[in-house]
Amino acid sequence: MPGPLEGIRVLDFGQFLAGPFGPMLLADLGADVIKVEPTQGDGMRGSVVGSFMGCQRGKRDIAVDLKRPEGLRIAHELVATADIVHHNMTLGTADRLGIGYEHCKAIRPDILYCNTFMYGAQGPLAHLGGLDPLAQAAAGLEWEQGPVAAGNPPLWNRYGHGDVAAAMPSVTALLIALFHRNRTGEGQSMWASLFHGSMLYTADSWLGADGTPSPRPSLDREQLGLGALNRLYETQDGWLQLAAVREEHWAALCRVIRREEFLEDPRFGTPADREKHRGELTGVLAEAFLGDLSTNWRRALRAAGVPSEISVGTCDGETILFDDELERLGLVTEYEHPLLGRVRQFGNLITFSDTPGKQERAAPMLGQHTREILAELHYDEATIDDYRARGIVAWPDQDYRYSV
Amino acid sequence: MQALDGVRILDLSGGIAGPLGVLQLAEHGADVVKVEPPGGRADRGSPASRVYNRSRRSITLNLKDANGVALFRELCATADVVVEAFAPGTMARMGLDYESLREEFPHLVYCSVPAWPSGVRYEDLPGYESLVHARTGQHWENTSFRPGPVFLHSPVASMGAMLLVPIGIMSALVSREQTKRGQHVEVSLLQGVLSLTTQNWNWTDRGQFQLPKTSPPGVHQASVYECANGEWIHAATTAGIAPTRSEASILGIEDLPFPTLMSMTPEARGEYQASKREAFRRWDRTKLIEELHAAGLGAEAIVAPHERFDHPQLRATGSVVKVVDPVVGPTTQVGVTIFLGTTPGEVKGPQPLAGAHTDEVLRSLGRDDTEIATLRARGVI
Repeated sequence: MPGPLEGIRVLDFGQFLAGPFGPMLLADLGADVIKVEPTQGDGMRGSVVGSFMGCQRGKRDIAVDLKRPEGLRIAHELVATADIVHHNMTLGTADRLGIGYEHCKAIRPDILYCNTFMYGAQGPLAHLGGLDPLAQAAAGLEWEQGPVAAGNPPLWNRYGHGDVAAAMPSVTALLIALFHRNRTGEGQSMWASLFHGSMLYTADSWLGADGTPSPRPSLDREQLGLGALNRLYETQDGWLQLAAVREEHWAALCRVIRREEFLEDPRFGTPADREKHRGELTGVLAEAFLGDLSTNWRRALRAAGVPSEISVGTCDGETILFDDELERLGLVTEYEHPLLGRVRQFGNLITFSDTPGKQERAAPMLGQHTREILAELHYDEATIDDYRARGIVAWPDQDYRYSV
Repeated sequence: MQALDGVRILDLSGGIAGPLGVLQLAEHGADVVKVEPPGGRADRGSPASRVYNRSRRSITLNLKDANGVALFRELCATADVVVEAFAPGTMARMGLDYESLREEFPHLVYCSVPAWPSGVRYEDLPGYESLVHARTGQHWENTSFRPGPVFLHSPVASMGAMLLVPIGIMSALVSREQTKRGQHVEVSLLQGVLSLTTQNWNWTDRGQFQLPKTSPPGVHQASVYECANGEWIHAATTAGIAPTRSEASILGIEDLPFPTLMSMTPEARGEYQASKREAFRRWDRTKLIEELHAAGLGAEAIVAPHERFDHPQLRATGSVVKVVDPVVGPTTQVGVTIFLGTTPGEVKGPQPLAGAHTDEVLRSLGRDDTEIATLRARGVI
């Protein structure tokens, strides 16, 4: 069965992460996504291969120089066939190139046009682009991960959470707009931003009438937990994540670590008491967990009904990408890449019962589908070859200079 | 007119991903009805719930009572979407899992948000946020000031899932226009993790491609600096436009191009970096950010979450809203975070009191005041 967005065509003019990630999701959902890439390549092709593969799979790719009239005409011909245009250019760039909302709307009046920004389409900083750490800084994530309140420096989360926070809401916006278009025939433009999307990550923080912040859980200075009972503990052979977060877990935990006397201890009587004596309780538990193997603890805790997991690394994808069950459930997928050979990747991020869809294309090479797409636009062989000779379009040859 | 006017969502979910995912649709016109047990959900008093569960109505319904289940099924006939985030098997025990509803309500989109994907061998194990991190390697992906695992303050699994939930629901609603049928949509917290870390889950016969783990520190961590008064700044990233001045010239230190810097001895480079850190400490953060922005360079104050409401971009885009909560009174919250040109979103109101709309919803099902009073006396509502 095809995915839920079968029949929807998307043009992706974006580069790096915050742009291309959204169209990748649309491709996962079954849309026909064409990456329209500059002939010199997406800026992320040359850097981190995993990052590029992580936001480009499922697309076809045409390499075209939009600054040449013939190239721009190709883009406009593609817009005429598209439902959605998506990119992450800085404010005004697409207008200058001739693929702004007004250009696209003139060609396709019901086009759904989405731009992801650093800061949004209006406001004093709207003209600035930017990278993920700016969003993590401004949303409060780096401050809390330090944690700065405990005296540590701020800590950047190593993945582009800010980029994804622009990309995924941009897809939500497009689908809301698609629903509206299907009911009314009306298209529209829309935007999302790294900054605004990251606000969702800390949306639970609000201010009271007098400006008092809402209470939030705090990380300890060692960066190991949000409290003595929701914390990482070192064992004889590795680390264990304890999550004894409910009241019934407490008594069972005391029995597993053979400290039943804590049940009568006024320092640990209620959750509030345990939070107040967080340091003491952490010390006792840290000492206890060092006394046995992680597997033994996990088994004993599970038997007693206390939630815990052994904290594993992602080493060579073993824990996820080579899990047979996840593969069978479609959460892991595998296909061929012309240069890289066998590629194993994350599969379905959403599981649909009736329109499951399937990821079948690895991230495309620069211009991998240029000929195919131009042929669909009824360009003849001679013109296509001429355009390539003149650098208006490109496709891979023996001198291909990227590793992906 | 809002884009999702006329779409009704029955939201039974607690926690983060369900309610916050649904919120993004509620504020674009969907009529979200929170279905809670009599007395309300256990977590509705948490600070987070006041934001995650705003912009919707609330009814209380005892789903452990046959009459309550019957009323819920009546509601399903009027609804487009059901969202639940219970432990596996909970909805089935009440006879309200997708299999039990699909035949009578083929139009229904039914969205489940479990911790683990249904069908894995550990699907029945507890799935609290930090346990999902433990199983998916998340503790080992941040480089810090010491070796070993790092607990993530941000609930990244739930955060990824809350971004996926509205996408899953809307995709199924769009697809329904063609197929005339709803379907079951599942977003597990494990998939939430994968979605935020797709850069990590790429493997070829050459091995897994991972972000380089330089310790210390990663490229972006290296641009965290302390300014005057102990305030922190994330500086020196590109702003996507041609800068008019360099960071070094603004800081008042020697301007060394990157290749020069890399060709220096580690000692000389360390000395230069120290002088740079020194220079940052001489600057007032606000003033420095103004200078960097004016020069077309990226920079942001590293703030605590409660300090972020002052950001000029949030103000300029109307993304700071006043919400009068029925329990805690006036609050300042983050508003709508996506911006549709023709059908903009809007915060519709606070988290309602539990059951605030029970009578109104039951009347819309044709119950009169006497019948409602009887249901209440029997503990059904």
